[in-house]
Amino acid sequence: MSDTTPQASGARILVIDDGITMRLYYRTVLEAAGFTVEEATNGVEGYEKAVAQSYDLLIVDINMPKMDGYSLLRAIRSEAAIRSVPAVTVSTEAGPDDATRAFQSGANFYLVKPVAPQALTELARLMAGGRS
Amino acid sequence: MALLRAKPSAPPESLPAAPGDDRASLLANLHSPEPAVRRGAARALTSHPEAAMALCDRLDIETSPSVRAVLFTVLIRQESPAVVARLLVHLRSDDAALRNGTIEALQEMRGTVTPHVRDLLDDPDSDVRIFAVNILGALCDPETPALLVDVLRHEPHVNVCAAAVDALAEVGTPDAIEALEALRTRFGDEPFLTFAIDTTIRRIRGG
Repeated sequence: MSDTTPQASGARILVIDDGITMRLYYRTVLEAAGFTVEEATNGVEGYEKAVAQSYDLLIVDINMPKMDGYSLLRAIRSEAAIRSVPAVTVSTEAGPDDATRAFQSGANFYLVKPVAPQALTELARLMAGGRS
Repeated sequence: MALLRAKPSAPPESLPAAPGDDRASLLANLHSPEPAVRRGAARALTSHPEAAMALCDRLDIETSPSVRAVLFTVLIRQESPAVVARLLVHLRSDDAALRNGTIEALQEMRGTVTPHVRDLLDDPDSDVRIFAVNILGALCDPETPALLVDVLRHEPHVNVCAAAVDALAEVGTPDAIEALEALRTRFGDEPFLTFAIDTTIRRIRGG
């Protein structure tokens, strides 16, 4: 999972996923690319963190306990202070309806699992940029 | 053809009202237009296990998140093979909140779920198989590790295998390591799966 492209300079990413291995994977890949990563284990925790702190990008799983990814995105998009934070949804569901549902809920981009490290870091750079 | 709509206050056909108790009014209130009334009725029916199918009927059409939450809580307490069978239908729902609520409820029903979920491991829909693995992983059933290892050996879909690897990170035993290594050979070109296998083996070994 080496990455030779320039490092992102500290942009903050919140990963919201109930899978422990998935969160560790995102953290490993994104921190190696220079991002600062925080985690939430479900939609409710993700919402609370997104409201309480400032992030440059949210990575949101769809199927999660307590609050699913679609509901989380709708809640975030209705909260004035954080409605413009870019969000990528990641799901095992690859149907066109699933992507449409994600976009209608407020996603800016839709990724289907499994996500390759390079695709993840390039998308993160594009959407979160870096703080110089 | 005219469409006939059931009266909202009519008790569900699956449970005839018994004379002389308040069950009939509780069943009627399950279909009240007011979410607070439906919520209260569902909660009060906790002590009526014979009302489980009526609660399942309501869950099929309920849209209020707070009423759904109570319905799930009561159905967990009224766990039975019939309730599990009714809940499993919602794993195929397009409503992510209903689907995920169902998964959480089934994960709480530890006594009767495994045989039903085991059958879903052969479902033609890979997402249903992922949900089955997620449910199994949360059940404290002695059968779970062996079922997950079987998924590693036979499952063709990478995301179902990834779900099984993730579950084994929590419940796996050293018996799973051989199957994890074999999976690495099968999906060696998938960086996430390789990462997950390494992580899970390390956790099983106590690293």
